[in-house]
Amino acid sequence: MKMNWTPEELQAIVDEHALVLFMKGTPNEPQCGFSNRAAQVMQQFGEPFAAVNILTDSRAIPSVCAWSDFPTMPQVFVQGELVGGSDIVLEMLQDGSLKEMFDAGRQ
Amino acid sequence: MVTTDWVEGEVRKAVPDAVVEVIDLHRSGDHFHVRVISDSFDGMRPLQRQKLILAVMKQHIPHPVHALDLKCMTPAQAETAGDTAFDPHGGGQGVHIRRIEKNKD
Repeated sequence: MKMNWTPEELQAIVDEHALVLFMKGTPNEPQCGFSNRAAQVMQQFGEPFAAVNILTDSRAIPSVCAWSDFPTMPQVFVQGELVGGSDIVLEMLQDGSLKEMFDAGRQ
Repeated sequence: MVTTDWVEGEVRKAVPDAVVEVIDLHRSGDHFHVRVISDSFDGMRPLQRQKLILAVMKQHIPHPVHALDLKCMTPAQAETAGDTAFDPHGGGQGVHIRRIEKNKD
């Protein structure tokens, strides 16, 4: 897929997929410990998720961070809404709020 | 590179009443695990809590702060929170390390 990392393209990704993980590397070959942790949380959660490797293009990190107004990677979107990075998504897996938010659907 | 005291000071600009515990994960002054404990987090979602702190910290990311693992808790959540910090360069699944100190009071 040819990406220009515009806000419209990024919004389309999170509109299309219930779970989206913007990460350094891929779930199988993560390039950062935090991205690895987030990918593992997604895998443990067990629902299909879209992983976007933001190391494929130098424009990606600044574009995603400006669009989402969140300064670090990885970033997890549930039902189109940013929930945060690997620290928050792990906490939300453990306390059940990730499932609640996923099951609630689009707000 | 920055110090844990500096990080604590920056976090407290955002949440003045907070108990702030900072761990310099690699003694390299750029990867930090930070616990922020405050009554003011009650009723806020995790992202809202972090955004308060990131509003101050994001100007320092990715330099001099390369990695910032934030745990924002109410005092009640801190009571039951685990005693480990995540190390993003721990290899494999990430190694959990003991906290350097624990507030007992």
